[in-house]
Amino acid sequence: MDTVTAFTILCLLIVEARIIPDNYSKERRALLDEETLTAVGGKQHLNEDETIANDILMKWKMNELNESYINPQHFNFSKHYFSYKKDIEKSKVYQIIKRMPKGAVLHVHSSLMLSADVLVKLTYEDHLYACYSHDDVRLYFSETTPDRPCPTKWDLVSELRNSSGDPAAFDSQLKKYFTLDKDDGEDYNFVDINTVWKRFDKVYFAIKSLISYRPVREKYWYETLQQFYDDNIMYIEIRSGLQSLYELDGTKHNKKYLLDLYKKVTEKFIETHPDFIGVKLIITKHRAQSIDQVLEALNMARRLKVEEPDMIAGFDLVGQEDIGRPLTDFLPALSEAKGDINFYLHAGETAWLGTSADENLVDAILLGSKRIGHGYALTKHPSLMSAVMKKDIALEVNVISNVVLSLVHDVRNHPLASYLAMGAPVVLSSDDPGAWSAEPLSHDFFVAFMGVASKHADLRMLKQLALNSITYSALDDEGKARLLKVFNERWDRFVRDVITDVSLLDTNVV
Amino acid sequence: MRSVILAVLPILFIHAKCDDKYHEKRKQLVELELRMALGGNSTLNDKENIVNNCLMQHKFNELDYGFDNPDHYNLSHHFFNYRKQIQKSKVYKIIQSMPKGAVLHVHDMAIIGPDYFVNLTYMDHLYVCFGKPIKFWFSYTVPNTTCDGDWKLMKDVRKAAANVTQFDADLRKHFTLVCDNPDVVYPSIKETWDTFMGYFTSVFGLLSFRPNWEQYFYDALKLFRADNIMYVEVRSILPNLYELDGTVYDKIITAKAYRKAINKFLKDYPDFLGAKLIFAPSRKVDAKVLDSYIQTARHIKRDMPDLYAGFDLVGQEDLGNPLIEFVPQLLQAKDLNFFFHAGETNWFGTLTDENLVDAVLLGAKRIGHGYALAKHPALMREVIKKDIGIEVNVLSNAVLSLVKDVRNHPLNIFLSLDLPVVLSSDDPGAWEADPLSDDFYVAFVGVASRLADLRMLKGLALNSLKYSALKAEHKVRAIREFNSRWNDFVNHFDCKSY
Repeated sequence: MDTVTAFTILCLLIVEARIIPDNYSKERRALLDEETLTAVGGKQHLNEDETIANDILMKWKMNELNESYINPQHFNFSKHYFSYKKDIEKSKVYQIIKRMPKGAVLHVHSSLMLSADVLVKLTYEDHLYACYSHDDVRLYFSETTPDRPCPTKWDLVSELRNSSGDPAAFDSQLKKYFTLDKDDGEDYNFVDINTVWKRFDKVYFAIKSLISYRPVREKYWYETLQQFYDDNIMYIEIRSGLQSLYELDGTKHNKKYLLDLYKKVTEKFIETHPDFIGVKLIITKHRAQSIDQVLEALNMARRLKVEEPDMIAGFDLVGQEDIGRPLTDFLPALSEAKGDINFYLHAGETAWLGTSADENLVDAILLGSKRIGHGYALTKHPSLMSAVMKKDIALEVNVISNVVLSLVHDVRNHPLASYLAMGAPVVLSSDDPGAWSAEPLSHDFFVAFMGVASKHADLRMLKQLALNSITYSALDDEGKARLLKVFNERWDRFVRDVITDVSLLDTNVV
Repeated sequence: MRSVILAVLPILFIHAKCDDKYHEKRKQLVELELRMALGGNSTLNDKENIVNNCLMQHKFNELDYGFDNPDHYNLSHHFFNYRKQIQKSKVYKIIQSMPKGAVLHVHDMAIIGPDYFVNLTYMDHLYVCFGKPIKFWFSYTVPNTTCDGDWKLMKDVRKAAANVTQFDADLRKHFTLVCDNPDVVYPSIKETWDTFMGYFTSVFGLLSFRPNWEQYFYDALKLFRADNIMYVEVRSILPNLYELDGTVYDKIITAKAYRKAINKFLKDYPDFLGAKLIFAPSRKVDAKVLDSYIQTARHIKRDMPDLYAGFDLVGQEDLGNPLIEFVPQLLQAKDLNFFFHAGETNWFGTLTDENLVDAVLLGAKRIGHGYALAKHPALMREVIKKDIGIEVNVLSNAVLSLVKDVRNHPLNIFLSLDLPVVLSSDDPGAWEADPLSDDFYVAFVGVASRLADLRMLKGLALNSLKYSALKAEHKVRAIREFNSRWNDFVNHFDCKSY
């Protein structure tokens, strides 16, 4: 062998040493492909137009994420939602998601769906009295000063507003009672879960006192439907305890009245928005109530299910899970009702492992819950996780809610990342968007897509999540088919919009 | 009347039967999960049960207090805020006196806390440069290395200080990340890692002074032993040691200094099982430098086979080179035994995250951190199949800004799946934590299930030996020795003394 050949061989060897061998690359590719295929949306196929739209979406996603990867001190999603909420609108990815049809919202509490700004507008209705006590407000509509307890005194809101000298300032003060986001720079990372829930309950009671008045509730509900519709949502399942509404003269309606009101207003809404599919109710009771009270609510739900089978989806228990009663307390009643009504139970909305709230997951599964509300703790329970996969029980995940209600700080640590990776039956929802003035669903989709999901997650995941919300809804087959048809039409239009939108063309021109 | 009762009875009976069946099923599910978890399949003997009852009683007390008063639940806050309070915990005290096996993931320059370094600054011939960060160098003459200030003799600076106690207290701050208001000082991972890297720059000159190096590791081993640890695998970049006259040695000398310190320690403390070295240079290098590292590793492995455990690459994973860039070279070096850092990130789907794929495919014996693993079902399966140890460092992940509330640390998923987990402490000196007990405590009370008990603690300790780099026969000996110490601990346990 002459020296030249030897030298050539040596060079080849060196070069070879710097190249990744084929079998390694293949094995690596296989593992990564397996993960991509397993993940939510992994089996979706994109058509030609969708592929182009996806390229545009991913170009912006990479652009925005790479920026944060290089400057993690600016990475929004590692901070509290309130600190970056205002910046969301600037994101091109968000603008695309906002326009995207998202199917249905399946986990949302009926009184906390509308943002504080709109609620303030509702306080312009006539005859509204307010009772302010140190950090609380109660509202009541009445022809004369309400004959109800008030630690201070009842005043007409219109008079207070007029005599304040600055109605705008008055309204912005009033607004603070309707939202957890006080915009006062407080670092919510230091607020513990019980304190947050106390504030949350306070917001709930303030809003409830405003919308218990029948005419306002009608407006509230119409406006809510409009906002959800504008956020590209075509069907909603609301959780409601069916409170009794009242009239100006003090007449009180029964609980069923509110169900009829939801039905009536929704039908009116559909008249002008014919592609909106409708609303169903999941009847709820607070889990801190007595066993008898829960039983009573459960029986009401069963009765209503018989009377209004199309309006009633099922039954659930609500309220802070850690300190409320565990599902086991209500077992006999729930077991017995199982055949009459479907369950959509909150379970595992907790950061604690091995506590009763955590074990609610066991009962939700054993009771045959159709979906599980939150299921935040599920990743820590491998056998329950596999039961959920096997029984195809959908998980209603509400990322922003879990941040605001103090379960997680940096959303990248949210268990949704694992659920998405495993291809679990996930639906994204927003829980109480009104309580923190979030968009009906787009903010949750955005944070999940950018902050929680893999960097590689793309339009296929978004589409799958939207489709999941149809698949796992309480609609019957015919209803699902109608919803799917509406969704597909809107989806095609959305895709065409994205690929023809000049403002999305160049990432360099911002 | 009678007929009514007769008619009702079967209904009641059916209900009762359904109910029983439900409760039975429920119990099975809950028990299945506990049995599946790490340590769940082992049984405790009578004496161990006594320890366990005491341990669990205290654990429930502490947890239930936190559950009822979440505003006072320490473990959901920053470690710096509750660091000192841990020592009052009875669970902590039990864990401290419990044999914990080995520490398998720890970086040598951050084992002993800040006071040790303050003491070193009293040595002769020490120069200091008050730059950002502060630097030190031992030398007969003014050091000629660059610094963003002037090199001054430490002795002179201290003499000129108005108040030496205050001076030393200020100096001490350069040797620790601990502060009173961590959430303000460290708003993001950037500030944390900047300070953390500054720490290493500051202690570098103090430690790589040859006489200090040997003594330092000897003193570190003392600390481990005092924390009931019997064996250590230490990661080192193997700094080039230097002398007062400016002599600088190569990395082989550093390895030899290790061997010397370990042998001396074993002679003085024959009950200690030993220590091994994982050569872990920076991942922020090019292919050529990596070649030289691989050569050094081979050299040490050949000359000091008992000292050498394996090879790793270190530094903030998000900013360093991903493993994929080094795959061609590393595939040729599998004889070195890999213990790669991988997935120490919460960025999902990035190159850092995908280091996990390469760590698995390159045949790593263990993975450092693997924080991102729970987001990768296929990789998790491979880790179980290949029985790759996962070195989990909860406090490190909390301090270095991956997670705030440790209840969201993926360790709880690993534990519930009985992944091959070993608990370690990464850089305990840099945040003034114990060599291992603080990490064990936080993992046991803050991360694991409320119901996890002594069986999990014992399982974790045994894992640390099982997944060590000890040779088979040494491993058997180590486990035997551990069992005998464990029995001592159990036999002499007195609940009242905690």
